[in-house]
Amino acid sequence: MSLDFLSPRPTAQAPARSPMVPGAARAGAVTEIRDGWEVIASFGDPAGEAAACRESVGFADVSPLPKVEVFARPGGEFVAGTATRVGEGWRCPVRPERTLLLGEAVTGAAGITGVRTCDLTGTLAALVVAGPAARETFARFCALDLREAVLPVGGFRPGSVARTPGFLLRDDRDRFLVLFGAAFSEYVWEVVADAAARLGGRPVGADSLPATKTEAARA
Amino acid sequence: MSYVLTCPNCGPREVTDFGFGGEVTTRPSGHPSPRELNTYIYFRRNVAGPQREWWVHRSGCGAWFLAERDTRTNEVKWTALPEDAPGAATPDPVSSGEAR
Amino acid sequence: MTDSARLAPTAGQRIDRSRPLRFSFDGDQVDGFDGDTIVSALYASGRRTFSRSFKYHRRRGELCGCGQCANSLFTVDGHPGVRGCGEPLREGMEVTHQNAWPSLEFDAMRATDLVGGPFTPPGFYYKTFIRPRKLWPVYEKVLRRAAGLGRLVSRQEEREWRTEYRRRHCDVLVVGGGVAGLSAALRAAELGADVVLCDEDSEPGGRLLIEGRHEEARDLAARCREAGVEILSGAPALGFFDELVPVWQGDTLHQVRAARHVAATGSLEQPLIFPDNDLPGVMLATGALRLAALHGVRPGQRCVVAGVDDRALEAALALHRLGVTVSAVADLREGADGEAQAELEAAGIELIRGAMPVRAAGRKALEGVSLACVDAGGRALGTPRKLACDVLAVSGPPAPTSSLLLQSGVRARFEESAGTFLPGEAPPSIEPAGAVAGHERAELARLSGSVAGAAAALSLGFGGQTGRKLMEEERASLGAATETPNRAKPPALATDGASGKAFVDLDEDVTVKDVRHAAAEGYDSIELSKRYTTVTMGPSQGRFSQLAAVRALSEATGADLGEVGMTTARPPWTTVPMGVLAGRPFEPARRSAIHDRHREAGASIRWAGDWRRAYDYGDVEGEVMAVHEAAGLIDVSTLGKFIVRGPDAGELLDRLYPNRMSTLKPGRVRYGVLTSEAGRITDDGTVGCLDEETFYVTTTSSGAGAVEQWFSWWMASWPELDVDLTDVTQGLSAVNLAGPGSREILAGLTEADVSAEAFAYLDAREMEVAGVGCLALRIGFVGELGYELHCPAPQAAALWDAIAAGGARPFGLEPQRILRLQKMHILVGQDTDSEMTPYGANLDFAVKLDKEQDFIGRWALERQAEEAPPQALVGFTCEDGAVPTEGAAVIDAAGKVLGQVTSSRRAPKLGRTIGLAMVDPSLAEEGARITISDAGARLSAAVTRKPFYDPDGELLRS
Repeated sequence: MSLDFLSPRPTAQAPARSPMVPGAARAGAVTEIRDGWEVIASFGDPAGEAAACRESVGFADVSPLPKVEVFARPGGEFVAGTATRVGEGWRCPVRPERTLLLGEAVTGAAGITGVRTCDLTGTLAALVVAGPAARETFARFCALDLREAVLPVGGFRPGSVARTPGFLLRDDRDRFLVLFGAAFSEYVWEVVADAAARLGGRPVGADSLPATKTEAARA
Repeated sequence: MSYVLTCPNCGPREVTDFGFGGEVTTRPSGHPSPRELNTYIYFRRNVAGPQREWWVHRSGCGAWFLAERDTRTNEVKWTALPEDAPGAATPDPVSSGEAR
Repeated sequence: MTDSARLAPTAGQRIDRSRPLRFSFDGDQVDGFDGDTIVSALYASGRRTFSRSFKYHRRRGELCGCGQCANSLFTVDGHPGVRGCGEPLREGMEVTHQNAWPSLEFDAMRATDLVGGPFTPPGFYYKTFIRPRKLWPVYEKVLRRAAGLGRLVSRQEEREWRTEYRRRHCDVLVVGGGVAGLSAALRAAELGADVVLCDEDSEPGGRLLIEGRHEEARDLAARCREAGVEILSGAPALGFFDELVPVWQGDTLHQVRAARHVAATGSLEQPLIFPDNDLPGVMLATGALRLAALHGVRPGQRCVVAGVDDRALEAALALHRLGVTVSAVADLREGADGEAQAELEAAGIELIRGAMPVRAAGRKALEGVSLACVDAGGRALGTPRKLACDVLAVSGPPAPTSSLLLQSGVRARFEESAGTFLPGEAPPSIEPAGAVAGHERAELARLSGSVAGAAAALSLGFGGQTGRKLMEEERASLGAATETPNRAKPPALATDGASGKAFVDLDEDVTVKDVRHAAAEGYDSIELSKRYTTVTMGPSQGRFSQLAAVRALSEATGADLGEVGMTTARPPWTTVPMGVLAGRPFEPARRSAIHDRHREAGASIRWAGDWRRAYDYGDVEGEVMAVHEAAGLIDVSTLGKFIVRGPDAGELLDRLYPNRMSTLKPGRVRYGVLTSEAGRITDDGTVGCLDEETFYVTTTSSGAGAVEQWFSWWMASWPELDVDLTDVTQGLSAVNLAGPGSREILAGLTEADVSAEAFAYLDAREMEVAGVGCLALRIGFVGELGYELHCPAPQAAALWDAIAAGGARPFGLEPQRILRLQKMHILVGQDTDSEMTPYGANLDFAVKLDKEQDFIGRWALERQAEEAPPQALVGFTCEDGAVPTEGAAVIDAAGKVLGQVTSSRRAPKLGRTIGLAMVDPSLAEEGARITISDAGARLSAAVTRKPFYDPDGELLRS
């Protein structure tokens, strides 16, 4: 028997749905099926959403992001706190024997044999918080030190976010990716939405997020 | 209480990020006598001073690690994953009379 | 507002006369300007009494002018305890007085002061109202009203107030925005440090602002901002908690975590102690100056200044320059001469040397003061000189504001030359600067701040050699310039010998006589005196009474000031509304991926641990019967779910569970109970074998987190095992399809063979159901034929919809509880307590003591196996239909407690009340009678050992 039952394999009959969708729907989210996933395309105001990411803060659900945990016994180098870019994805060190692969890094690792892997795509929900007020937004519900000097781009921090266990990755200058338990999605959404709103920010569709540097370079 | 504890994997974090596992005990080997068993299960040294103890980075990497903390001041001398921990600390004078 | 109430505009004033504001005070409309405080506007309107005192209900007026004293506590827009002299004025504010009845001008409780006598001494309340004890509630009601500090609004929605925390990490936190703090922040930021500065006042500058040096202050603040300093104004630091400093600013509590701290908290001018020193009109010189310099308010028509050093002289000159008539200055020093004295003479202000006030006179407010030279004991020498005045600005020796430093572990020592307590050696992460470190004069404070800011930044690796060299130079010049202030020591009490109360503590109405009285009764240490007299225990926390109390006690006991010492300063530094400490409401809730389906179906949603769960869908009995008669569907995504993997996975499970897991064949599932080393049940669940190295472990919903930590803790203790653990609780959803019709429904949704032969009880199979890849387990918590389908959470809603469309009726947690109770399936935590053993819970089958290897709890379980369990879990039936409360006691004929009911429900299928109870083993016999005592009623019940429903599990295995 396999661990295939851990991985969402969306079909037309059974699309996968981001855990954020039910909560976001009440905030006016417009959803679409993309690559089998029901995702939040926008909140009906793409211009306003893009402006929020540019001028204050916007946050978007990116939960379909592939996430895989890789176990390897110590031996390889463990550089705590710094993720490595793999294409448009990331390799994030959690513990000496445990690494979290995100996005394209997962595709790259697909062929690896001899190490144990575990699909966490459905286990961890993901939000991108972007904009000049992103750091201030986190300061309302997260005790991590996110200052430039402490957390440069690529900085990765396992730690408490909105009082739940999470992982935080600074994936670009004014952009943070935060991962947390999928069942907390609605709760975290509310906390982030409330904190962002008080700083002039709002939820945005994934389409309104500014491209990361690598994405921009590729385009 | 809001001191900072250093996770051996993740670095310094607020103490609220962690779970406390209590002082380090030694699981008896072989077949313990009822007295040895009860001592292992129920008795703690509960020192006022440096103590070797277990912590888990509950909200972070999830790893269990060891720390030496002064229970009077919350000053943490070191933290380390079990395999990297310094050798057994010399029993401190306060609690060395434990086998009363 | 009369013309003479306000002074001519000057550049330093904070008020904007083009922006008038109107507010109400006790129902009257009062006018002020933007930039006023509540008190400055009320003062300008001619009011002088702002509160009634705590015990004697005496009139109290302006004192500090900076939000530090308790003389002007108001209720503002329903919020009690607002400090009027620090609170900026806003349009439409509703301000009311506190602690006076029926009004501020006529307060009935004033009788306590006038009658005097028996009400006066400390301890009076303790001694008097203790007998008879029965009457205390009555006394309390009256006393609370007399001594109240405002009233909370009673309606919840009026109390609600959104506040939030803001985390701020920085390199250097500077507490205090005076010249020292600003200089420290500027220097540290110039050297490259990330600096936050917090200050209580509404703009930084401290004393510079009232000394006519506002331009300097504003320039310094501007330079700080340019250098990147984040300045928080109107933001007191509340305390020092293991280097975390909460800073309160309006609706926000900044939690500042800095690597270094500069304490530039300054000092507070202290009052002088003489009879009737609490009359409205007697105020601190800085208080009078703040009124005049910042708010353009004339403190009075005729002002007398009294002090012990040059500060008083400078204050008099500053008042004079601002247009306030100062008629005389009393300087307690005999022969101090310098520039200030010359300037006074030039300004025509009389200087009375060697004198201090020995009495204030006036009825509703100050009308005059008696000045005299005093002996060491404070007795007036010769006939005092009486001067008419309506303001007496006093300036006692300043007390360093060392509270924050003391909280960080610094000890205070008495400094004879300064006549005050100064903080001693500070820990390396804290740099004291300015007046708190004894550098009082602005030029010294500036230097002191620069040095402290540089030291903080340098110790963090900023600045390099040049920075260090500059700091060394500044430190040297600071040392050279430091001088002992020329300051007279005031007596504990200066008096003309006639009667009258002289207050050491205005908050608590404690007089010099009270402190003496307490000392005579034996309360002769400062800590005891404080507790007995309540001196320093009021809202201003001893800011203006600490030194006076120490001096009074020193005089009463003969011990010197250093020996008397100071009391402990505890956080918070400022009275802070509880709402600010509450912050943003966090209520971490977990919801299953199918939660919205339950919501749409109108389920009643309740908390179950940190999960929000569907408790029922409105028809508990109907839902139960659907499971019995057709098919039901329940969301059990809350179950803890773990992947345990590696060559030693089976070994790990064998060490953690009392039964054998390594012997499981792939595709099989086994029940397992977890125990502590003491052999007590901690959790239960199932273990499924996927292959030799891969196991799928489920736990209870509420125990998942604890099991994850328990497993990983032992894994950390057994590094020799090659095994990994992954928590997939939130990544997988699980639904239980149960009931006689469940096989047919499942068969309709999958290609897999789900016949009884191909998919037997306790089998695990991978299968696609309704297009969703699932792990299907044939287990049955509810007792009917059933399937637990585990699938990726993102696709769970699709699976749920398909099964429901196939004819299964959704059922909630409550029906499930009834169904499982019929089967006597325990709920850990509900039917077990911290002492329950597997033997007591009839789980003997899950303990294999013949297992070869050691396992957690083995030794304790071996001993338990040899003796009767202390408590046994049994089923019971109440024939009379009553449903006993869970937790009700099981008793014997004599009423002795023999156990308790852990679960009880009416079972619709069985048509009777069933339950589980923990009882004495002597009652654990089939058919034994037990009596349940429930809220006074006695219920009779019969004990059952076998499950109430399908006792042999035939349906389950079918």
